[in-house]
Amino acid sequence: MARIEDQATLAAGPGDLAHERAKGLDAAFRFGAGALSILVVLVAWELFARSGRVTMFMLPPFSAVVARIYTDALGGDLWINLGLTLYRAMIGFVIAAVGGITLGALMSRIRIVHWFFDPIISVGFPMPKIAFLPVIMLWLGLYDVSKISIVVFDAIFPVVTATLGGIASVEKELLWSARNMGASERQLIWQIALPAALPQILTGLQVALPISLIVTIIAEMAMGGYGLGGAMMTASRFADSRGVFAGIVEIAIVGYALIKALAVIRGRLLAWHPETVERS
Amino acid sequence: MDGQGQIVIEGVNHTYRPARGRAVPALSNVTLQVRPREFLALLGPSGCGKSTLLYLVGGFLPTEAGRILVEGKPVAAPGPDRGIVFQHFALFPWKTVRGNVLYGLERQGLPRAERDRRAQSFINLVGLRGFEESYPSQLSGGMKQRTAIARTLAFDPSILLMDEPFGALDAQTRSLMQTELLSIWQRTPKTVIFVTHDVQEAVYLAERVAVMSSRPGQIKAIVETKFEKRDPSILRAKEFVEKVDHIWNLVRDEAIKAQELSA
Amino acid sequence: MKALSRYLPLLLLAIAWELAARLNIVSSLALPPLTHVATAWLDLVHDGELIDNGEASLYRGAVGLLLAIVGGGALGMAMARWRTFDVFVNPLVELFYPLPKSALIPVTVIWLGFGDGSKILLIFLGCMIPVTIGAYNGARGSDHVLVWSARSMGASPLRMMWDVVLPSALPELLNGVRTALALSFILLVSSELIVSQKGFGYLIGYLGSTGSYEGMYAVVLTVAFLGFAADRLYQLLMQWLLRWRE
Repeated sequence: MARIEDQATLAAGPGDLAHERAKGLDAAFRFGAGALSILVVLVAWELFARSGRVTMFMLPPFSAVVARIYTDALGGDLWINLGLTLYRAMIGFVIAAVGGITLGALMSRIRIVHWFFDPIISVGFPMPKIAFLPVIMLWLGLYDVSKISIVVFDAIFPVVTATLGGIASVEKELLWSARNMGASERQLIWQIALPAALPQILTGLQVALPISLIVTIIAEMAMGGYGLGGAMMTASRFADSRGVFAGIVEIAIVGYALIKALAVIRGRLLAWHPETVERS
Repeated sequence: MDGQGQIVIEGVNHTYRPARGRAVPALSNVTLQVRPREFLALLGPSGCGKSTLLYLVGGFLPTEAGRILVEGKPVAAPGPDRGIVFQHFALFPWKTVRGNVLYGLERQGLPRAERDRRAQSFINLVGLRGFEESYPSQLSGGMKQRTAIARTLAFDPSILLMDEPFGALDAQTRSLMQTELLSIWQRTPKTVIFVTHDVQEAVYLAERVAVMSSRPGQIKAIVETKFEKRDPSILRAKEFVEKVDHIWNLVRDEAIKAQELSA
Repeated sequence: MKALSRYLPLLLLAIAWELAARLNIVSSLALPPLTHVATAWLDLVHDGELIDNGEASLYRGAVGLLLAIVGGGALGMAMARWRTFDVFVNPLVELFYPLPKSALIPVTVIWLGFGDGSKILLIFLGCMIPVTIGAYNGARGSDHVLVWSARSMGASPLRMMWDVVLPSALPELLNGVRTALALSFILLVSSELIVSQKGFGYLIGYLGSTGSYEGMYAVVLTVAFLGFAADRLYQLLMQWLLRWRE
């Protein structure tokens, strides 16, 4: 939740009463409190599950879930499922990213491309495209192609919109001065428009990444087979609730790692940008 | 009532402790008395803590050392006995002019008809008749500040705290607003603490000017600035110009010190 | 006229669909002509299937989303105003935020079965976080002089939350709700598709599995249109609620 922290820094002005009170809460304390509250939740989970108020089916203890993940990891199933889910989500995400940026850049420079795709993008963006999943299954079957296709179909819209918006908000002076210095149309896009639009494009990618993960899991659940989503569905079908909760924890870790990684990449790529400079 | 609107400030210190970075002493041993229905200007270079002092009187910041008494009682929290007008207006952007002016009256629990009547009369007083249903985003800077003043006057605080209220306005609007504020104050006398860094504005508006030193702020001098009549013609009168010169000399050293501090 | 030329590409796509199916460029099984889909849609409306299942879906979506807005908004504002609360709750939100929410589908089924309850819980849990983050960022950004003004005019701390912090947070809060709205459609349709005996998603899956592809297309397009229409209507509502802005 990097955005929240940015806001906190921005809101910090002298004379802010809330901030005066916050002065004692240094980073170490915050970290400790965070770790503590996560620990409290996990302990509460464990105790509640063992208290007998709920059945082990409704809520297996956290320790049992961890043990299950450990067994799966030793048996190798975890790595197969994890690998397949990551593969599908990442291939879909990368295709959506490259395709979305390309389409957005083309739309911003070529009028006819803009004319054709603009209504499709603006009508398609808010649609729940996941409803097309059975259609894609009908066309492409139950293999990776159809899983990856639905991911691309869902994740590409925010990338196109962000690229289009990002390029549109590039300062005219910047483009004029580049053209003045003899930049060609191609150089204008690659060397000026796209780098200047990078913050917004990255924001679009940060929207597209969670969508890719959500849709990958849904597609795996709907089509079955290997993959973290498919494994959860199989577990659920055999009333194996430890398997279901193990799936949640595994998927949560994958989501957390990928989203943090993208935030780190954003920081690297935008080292020149005021948003990064301000934070350090 | 005797002592209404009286403010006593005794030995007040204040230090800002930002979440990151070093603590900054803002006020050091400030002692000052404001008489009932007096118009007092707090004058000093930027960063001298004059706004901090105003916020302490308002009860927005906790008094750490010394004491501040309003009408004999120590300040603990903000309250409707002390109305405040900020430099950047602080209007509720989601409320219309009327909605803003009504807000304080609603919190006082006045009956509806009385609220509407009072709100309208103060909107008229500041010359905003016809703009009741406008949102702040549709108003000019001067009109926004008129709305803020009407909003504060409407719930009838005995004390008016003004934090560089005309600092964000252009020169013409600013001088019009000064004259208007004076005439409002003469009709509805209140205790006013008026923070500014403009010497001429302070001398023109206030009966007394408290000059503050640069950080940490202290009261350096208090100058009487009473004149027979106050209207824009006084700006060229000899006695007025002399007062401005005198106070400007007091302030200049502090302004230079303040610049060195911030450099 | 202008709108026509703007949306002409969509019309062209529809015509291309019809022709591709009619001329057997693609198998009309995989892609039935659009006109057949329209007839199937009318049939589904007539025999009540679309209405019945639609009602179930809209009920689940509306209740889940409403709970998410109230719960998420309150949580975000509380985090923004009370520092100690924030210190303890923020890490939990941060931990839960990147979880791909569709992973909750089997868990909500374990807890509440196949009916309305599990869908409502899923949408509530899945849509709460974007609202929380919107409310949190919005309330954090609320100008302290507005808070001070309200306090000096006699507003109690609780009153001030309602009168100042909530409206200040509104622009970001409403953006969070928009994300939640889109997410609610995704979670609703997919959970109904995977585990349900009622709802739009169920109907799509059922028609697909029985080979009535024309009906399946009709329901898919209906859901897509509803998602689009909900977003447009919501944008109008947002504009009206934020009409005080420049």
